[in-house]
This record gives sequence, structure tokens and C-alpha cells, in this order.
Amino acid sequence: MARAIKGSLVQCDPSIKALIVNIDAEYKDIVIEELDDTHLLVDPAKIPFIKRELNILLSKNMYNPDDEVQVS
Amino acid sequence: MQSPLTQPSSSDLFKSSINEYLDNLPETVHAQLYKSPETCLAVFRLLPALAKFYIMTLLFQETAIPFLDLNRWIRHKKASGTTHRRNPSKIYQNESIKRLKALNLLKEIRKKLKHPKTGKTAVIVFVQLNPIFRQSFRDALTGFRAGRQLDPNEKITETIEESEAKESGKKGLKSSKDNKSTESTQKNLNALFSDDNAKITVEFLDSYCLSKWENILHFMVGSEIAEYPSIGVLTLLRYSGLMELPSDRQRRENSSSGADADEDFVVDDHYIDGKLTPPSGEELKSLLITKSGFQFLLQTINSQIWTLLLQYLKMSEKLMMNPVDVLNFIFMLGSLELGEGYPIGMLSDTQLIMLEDLIDYGLLYYPRDAASGGKGKIFYPTRLATSLTSEQTNFKTASAALNDQIANPATEADQTRVEGSVIIETNFKIYCYTSSPLQIAILNLFVHLKTRFANMVTGIVTRESIRRALINGITADQIINYLETHAHPGMVKKAEEKYAKKLEFENSIGNTYAADQLKFEILPPTVVDQIKLWQLELDRIEATNGYLYKDFANDFEFEKLMDYGEEIGVILWKDKSHRRFFVTTEGNTQLIDYAKRILRKKGE
Repeated sequence: MARAIKGSLVQCDPSIKALIVNIDAEYKDIVIEELDDTHLLVDPAKIPFIKRELNILLSKNMYNPDDEVQVS
Repeated sequence: MQSPLTQPSSSDLFKSSINEYLDNLPETVHAQLYKSPETCLAVFRLLPALAKFYIMTLLFQETAIPFLDLNRWIRHKKASGTTHRRNPSKIYQNESIKRLKALNLLKEIRKKLKHPKTGKTAVIVFVQLNPIFRQSFRDALTGFRAGRQLDPNEKITETIEESEAKESGKKGLKSSKDNKSTESTQKNLNALFSDDNAKITVEFLDSYCLSKWENILHFMVGSEIAEYPSIGVLTLLRYSGLMELPSDRQRRENSSSGADADEDFVVDDHYIDGKLTPPSGEELKSLLITKSGFQFLLQTINSQIWTLLLQYLKMSEKLMMNPVDVLNFIFMLGSLELGEGYPIGMLSDTQLIMLEDLIDYGLLYYPRDAASGGKGKIFYPTRLATSLTSEQTNFKTASAALNDQIANPATEADQTRVEGSVIIETNFKIYCYTSSPLQIAILNLFVHLKTRFANMVTGIVTRESIRRALINGITADQIINYLETHAHPGMVKKAEEKYAKKLEFENSIGNTYAADQLKFEILPPTVVDQIKLWQLELDRIEATNGYLYKDFANDFEFEKLMDYGEEIGVILWKDKSHRRFFVTTEGNTQLIDYAKRILRKKGE
């Protein structure tokens, strides 16, 4: 008979998926299984952590018009 | 049939929360609740359309009917073409039946039956409507009650008739000249009503409840107000986490310094249990608004009231008030007539306590120094109360339609007296002609405000300011909707001109398709799109809990389970080549049940 694994299905862009896999390589035990280009099975408890890490990674290379606005 | 998968609007949000509350009540409470016909009516109104249909069909059915018959009453659209298509009507049916079961409306009875021809015994599932609900709901519809104690609804009408009869008797003595004896009683009563309570008109009630409600909102944003809301209101605001004491804030900041700052703050409710002395009225006046409080402000007035009432329900449980009484009272309000008075004699003790609180929220009006003499024991529901259970998707009467119209502008009306005052340019700059602290506070939620003048504020919408709002739980749609409804008349006029010009152009070149596709855009499209993009950017990943099924022994098992899962709409992801699929947590139990059934069949 089939097996059922408890987990959280994460749906995202391929680029984001690559980032999550990267995070997994660094911290371990996050991704349970890579399903396809846009889907991952991860540990449900790690979701907030992933979101936080992603935010940090993404905001590193984000242009922030706010500074410019304050000058004008 | 309307798909249940449509986007939830703000009115759906409150509906789901009251539904959730009802679902989670224990069966004994349900049984007590359903003794009241108007509660049954209100519960009925909150159900999805198909569930309503099932109830109506089963209502006058004395015997239980086989569960499978429920399937026969609706036509399933056969999935054409591809075999693995989600079956929306099946999902909808599944959802409806789930709701009915959660509310203990539908009861399952398992019977062992012998097949007439083959003689095999088989267990067949029968369903029946909850008998208490069935009786009460029949009463509500037909007004018939067989040897039952008078239900509250009847009591109301009868007591009113009685009291009015008394009044008319009195009045009749006073002014028998004016009243022609030939006049029908109904007319007589109506005339009396407007006569005796000339002050209490619908307009009066509307302005009364709005001013009450507005006062609470003004208090929340901390504007100067003449009269503070009562301690009951303040306690509720604090309890519901919409506002907090400076000391609460300090404590939270201390405790959450290391932890996740996004975590929702829960007010400790020791003081409600009487372990700590409650904060004094003076202390409560220094309440500060919280994150969820701001979100609360952007909701429509109807959902605001429901939010507060739900918190009230939770608080009343702690205060050892009978939740059945409380719920019955709330639901009863929905079936009262606006502008009519109701004697308080029919209320239970618990409900009398509630009466006081509901007056504070502006849901009821209760003249204390009653013009109606010493027997001023009559309360008047306001529009806030009577529109509680009626809303667009459920119950559309003429008055409900009016309610919608009034309830929606009402939220705006308490922010600015003029129609709209916000101008937003394509370069994301915002100008708002207002001096209302309420509106400025709301704008501050998602606008980077820069300068403030006597009658206007200016600001700019930035990625950061929108992100801040989004993180606070405000959605892009809420922001856009707010800007649209508050747009300056100049913006609307300009948008109209632009629309007319475009339409003329498209028509002149005969492009009817483009003409149909034209949208009326009040806000600059660049701004709208950008705000939506910012929201998308925030949730880059979408996570759902559930189970991954894999390692199927053969194609048959895999296909069988997957087909069933697809049909009831619980499969989120599938990979046929590796025989894997992902099921939501809710769908998992159903799938396992199904798998067991298959196994059993095989075994037989």
C-alpha cells in the first residue's frame, strides 16, 4: 500500500524554489522532498523561518525608491 | 450554481467567522439554540445555497432518507474531455454537507437493510434533519406550534399587541374624538405609534446609531471626543485586542523583543475572572490602538459589528453568561423590524445585561427618560442591529438592499462629511482634503504622509508604506477599494471624461470588442497595478499543510484514489509518472475513508 508523508506543500516560482533549496543546503532538514520545478514538500514548522530567510535574501537586491523620495 | 471557490469579500470574512464560531459549539448548545425559531432562521440564512436547498427539501420529510438521494437531487455536470477534472458541483455539495453536519443539522443513521432481491444485508446511511431544528424551523415558516410553549417570537408580537392594546385603550379615552371607531385596528395602532413616539423615527434611529458607532471609532484613533464610550465598550475593545493599555504594550514589547514580532498579542484576561482588579475607567481611557485595530477600521460597518459581537460572545462565556441566551438575542435582533418598539419584558436576565451593552454599541436604542411615560420599557433596534443577519448573498429584501446602501456609505460618512477627498496622481503622490483625525489615521496606514495643512494632508505611496500595511494584514484590495470610494469628485469627473473619450474613439473605429473591454478607472492604473504587484511580491511562496502520497503499488490504486480526490477537490498537486499526489489535511480523512471502503469491498 501507498505511503503518506506529512508535510507542507510549497508552491512558488522556480527562482524562489532555487533559493529555498539553497537555504536548505545551509540549515538542513527543511526540504523533505523536491517535487518539481515549482513545488516542494517541506517541514511545516519551518515555514516562518523560510519566509524570513527569503525576505532577507530578496531585500538584499531590492531598489528602494524611498530614500530618493525623501530627498526630493 | 455559484462556485464556492470565489474570492471571499469582506462580508464573507465576517460570515466565515460567525460560521466558525457556530461550528465549534458543542452539540448540546446547538440543541438548545435550535429551540428558538428565529435562531434557526438566522442560521439558515448563513448557510450556502445548496445547504438551504437540502434543508428545505428535508424539512417536511418525516422519515429518514438514504444519503445517496442527496446526490440525486442535483445534477452533476459530467466532466467532459479530460478525465481528471475537478468537479465544482461535487466540491460544492461536499462543502454544503460538511457545514450541515458541523452544525448538527443533518444526522446520519446507519441501518442494516436486506436487499429485496438478492437478500444480502448491507449498511445504508440515512440522513435526517435535526428534529429540534426541524420543529422550530417549521414553526418559523408556518407559524404553527403544536402544544409547544410560546416561542419568543410569538411572545414579542403578543406582548406588543397587548401593550399596544393597552395604550390604544388609554389613548382612546384621551382622544376618542380624533379616533374614528370604524378605523381598523392596524391603522389605529400605527397612528398611535407615530403619535406616542414621535421622536423615535427611523431617521432618528439611524443618526443615533451612527453617532454611537462613530464615537467608538473616533475613540479608537484617539481623536478628541466629548463623551467617552462606556467602560463596557472599552473593556471589550481591550479584550478583543483592538486596543491596548500602555502597560500592555510595554509588556508585549518586552516579551516579544526576541520572539517573532508578528505574533498576535493576546490580552491576558485574568481580570475578567476576577483574579486581578479590572483597570479603572480612567485607565481605560488611555487605551491605544493596535495593529488589528487598524485593520478593523478598514472593514465595512457590518463586519465591524460582527467582529465586536463575536468578541462579546467569547467574553460573555468567561463571565458565565449563557451562550444560548446571548446568541438567541443576537439572532433575534436580525428579525426585528426597524422603527418598531419592543417591550423588554420578554427578555431573560442574561439578555437584560446584554441589553445594556448593546445600547452602548448603538445597536439598540432605549429611551430612559421615556417619553412614553413611566412604562418606558420598550427598546428600539437600530439599523445596525436589524441588518445583522441580512446581507447581499443571503437575504435580499427591499429593506436589506437599503441597508447595504446605507451601511456602506456610513463608514465613509463618519470619516468625512463630504463625498470624497482623496486625489492620487500617477506619480504616487496623494493629496487629501480633510481635517478628520480618523481619516488621517487611516491614510497613515498605507501612505507615507509628508505634510499636514489646516485642511489637507499630502503624502506619497511607497513600496515601504504599502508593505507596512500589507504586513499589518491589510490587503491590496482593501487599499484600492478605500481609495476608490474616497476619490475626490474631480478624479471621478476626469475618469468619466476619459472613459467617454475612449469609448467614442473605439466606437468610431468600430472596435466593439475593445469598447466592451473598456474599464472605468478612477484611480491611475499604474498605481493600482503597482499596489497589487507589491502584494504579490510579499507572498512569494504559498504553503499548505497536508500529506504526500507516494509509493503506490500499482496504477489501479493510484488512479482510484486520485480520481476520488480530484472529484472532491482536495488534491493540490499530482505527478502521474512517479505516482505521487498531495492532499490537504482536511481531505486526508475523507480519502482514507474511501481507501478503507475499497479495501473492504475487495475483501468481501
